[in-house]
Amino acid sequence: MYQYDDYDRRIIVERAQQFRGQVARRLTGEITEEEFKPLRLQNGLYMQLHAYMLRVAIPYGLLSSTQVRKLAHIARTYDRGYGHLTTRQNIQYNWPKLTDVPAILDELASVEMHAVQTSGNCVRNITADHFAGIARDELEDPRPYCEILRQWSTFHPEFAHLPRKFKIAMTGAPGNDRAAVRFHDIGVRIVENAQGERGFEVLVGGGMGRTPLIGEVIREFLPKPHLLSYIESILRVYNLHGRRDNKYKARIKILVSALGIDEFRRRVDEDWEASRTPALELPDAEVARVSAFFAPPPYQVLPADDQVGVIQLGRDRVLGNWVSNNVDAHKVPGYSAVVISVKQPGIPPGDVSDTQLDAIADIADRYSFGHVVVTHTQNLVLPDVRTSELPRLHAELRALDLGEANANKITDVITCPGLDYCDLANARSIPLSLEIAARFDRVDYLNDVGDVSIKISGCINACGHHHVGNIGILGIDKRGEEFYQLMLGGSPGNDASIGKILGRALAQDEIVDAVEKVLDRYLEIRESPDERFLDAVRRVGFDPFKVAVYGSADPLDAGGD
Amino acid sequence: MTGNFTEDGAVAWRRADGTWARQIAEAGLFVDEPTAKAAATRAAAQEQREICDPYGIEVHAEGGAIDPLTARQRIRANGPTIRLRRPDGER
Ligand code: SF4
Repeated sequence: MYQYDDYDRRIIVERAQQFRGQVARRLTGEITEEEFKPLRLQNGLYMQLHAYMLRVAIPYGLLSSTQVRKLAHIARTYDRGYGHLTTRQNIQYNWPKLTDVPAILDELASVEMHAVQTSGNCVRNITADHFAGIARDELEDPRPYCEILRQWSTFHPEFAHLPRKFKIAMTGAPGNDRAAVRFHDIGVRIVENAQGERGFEVLVGGGMGRTPLIGEVIREFLPKPHLLSYIESILRVYNLHGRRDNKYKARIKILVSALGIDEFRRRVDEDWEASRTPALELPDAEVARVSAFFAPPPYQVLPADDQVGVIQLGRDRVLGNWVSNNVDAHKVPGYSAVVISVKQPGIPPGDVSDTQLDAIADIADRYSFGHVVVTHTQNLVLPDVRTSELPRLHAELRALDLGEANANKITDVITCPGLDYCDLANARSIPLSLEIAARFDRVDYLNDVGDVSIKISGCINACGHHHVGNIGILGIDKRGEEFYQLMLGGSPGNDASIGKILGRALAQDEIVDAVEKVLDRYLEIRESPDERFLDAVRRVGFDPFKVAVYGSADPLDAGGD
Repeated sequence: MTGNFTEDGAVAWRRADGTWARQIAEAGLFVDEPTAKAAATRAAAQEQREICDPYGIEVHAEGGAIDPLTARQRIRANGPTIRLRRPDGER
């Protein structure tokens, strides 16, 4: 993985020192909260309902075991013994004291980590396919380009005060988008043109939030050397013309849809032609230098036999089920990618304790060349596990309560912090998620229902990605009380779609029953066990599900909200 | 009146004597909005070192118990409704 050079190290250490001074001035009252707020936000420090929250950046989700140990140490020493994995492949701490934050930033800097640009109207942490570098369906590893974008966007002076936050995601597997690139301000897919050359397809104007939109292609094929200059032009047009008068209309997606993609593209091209300089061209040597940090680990040459299939069909059903659900194909024979589910019954999704983090670091060292990846689904990946070691690894993970066999299943719920923590929330998310986990924690049911994504957000900001859940749940506020809208039909991947509201909002004690009714109806109407939930919804429409939940497909009964 | 303590971000409740408590049970009550607003303005100016963003909320008060009227403020008063990984919160 990438190693900081002197410049990276210096800017992060200096930033931590500056923040130490700012905190000291805030604590003496020399600066007010109003003055301090923009400073703390630039360092990833939010004020939530009960405490501060510090969000730590994990570029493209990749962590070394040394960093994981440091995260465990911070959780134990400065927080309440756990961290929370986020949908941007980051980790956040829910209980740091302001007085401790400078020390935490120093600790992070010591392992080449920081919290800058995890908040505020700037380019946020750049996310990527969590199987980057190892997926069989990948054309090319996107992480060197993510890293180049990270360096370019860090403290970029022109883009420090954008109209709104800005999110970029990248995938190198154009046929299987695991990074939801169509739902980002900019999505980048590594593609091959008719001549067999590699380059980037660039999408713009996707996003969730109040106005969910699927990104549109602004450039079908961008030659690799132009990555920075072209993205810079997109950002410049947005910076100049994006709305600053209304924060709900300030994201780039609103500008793109107001202008239309053709006019937006024309403006970007105009800027690009005028501003392109050789200084922004990516030299092959620099790409090669950065790529070297992501060179494959020293894999052993192993036979390409089907050990996974043998384990799946073996006598140990618990192990077989875990391998079926949580182990993915690896491009190197004899190796597998393992998803560690951080969705355990009774525990808030994505919450991982200090002891678990320490143990995961040790496991990563012993099984996966010391690397761990955070997924945007709030789980962890061990990217490079020898398939023959899966049984032993599974036993170790189970002993840590990390052996759930539910990746991509209904209990693998993406859940935002919601009203238990978040200052912006309308309703709680985590208790629903826990109720869903408890209600459907039956192996046969889970496997019968198959791959169904449930995603829950506590407000319209959509951190829980409810718009792209096959089943989405959105918390709303009705006169100070919590209600939930149920949505069906969303998908974040290559078949991207935005879920639609099924009917009237449901009370807290109705919503999980409604999910169960929807799933039961799916089991009744699917054409075969191979027909996925999403395909069934697309085939039959909403009426059978409205009848199941509201007793009628009549819009007056199902209600509108 | 509520806000968050600057030092650790904990939920703060203003006592009748103008000092700040960590328990809602100790909060002072205002019976009309203008007085509450005036106190909030004063607190924002004079107590800004100790407290971030003070504001008034509506509560139901009976027999010494203070019950906020919204889910949000009830959760602020009582803490997250879910089990924490280390529930004691002390270190
Ligand atoms: S979706 Fe809303 S409630 Fe949930 S974390 Fe985001 S801002 Fe908070």
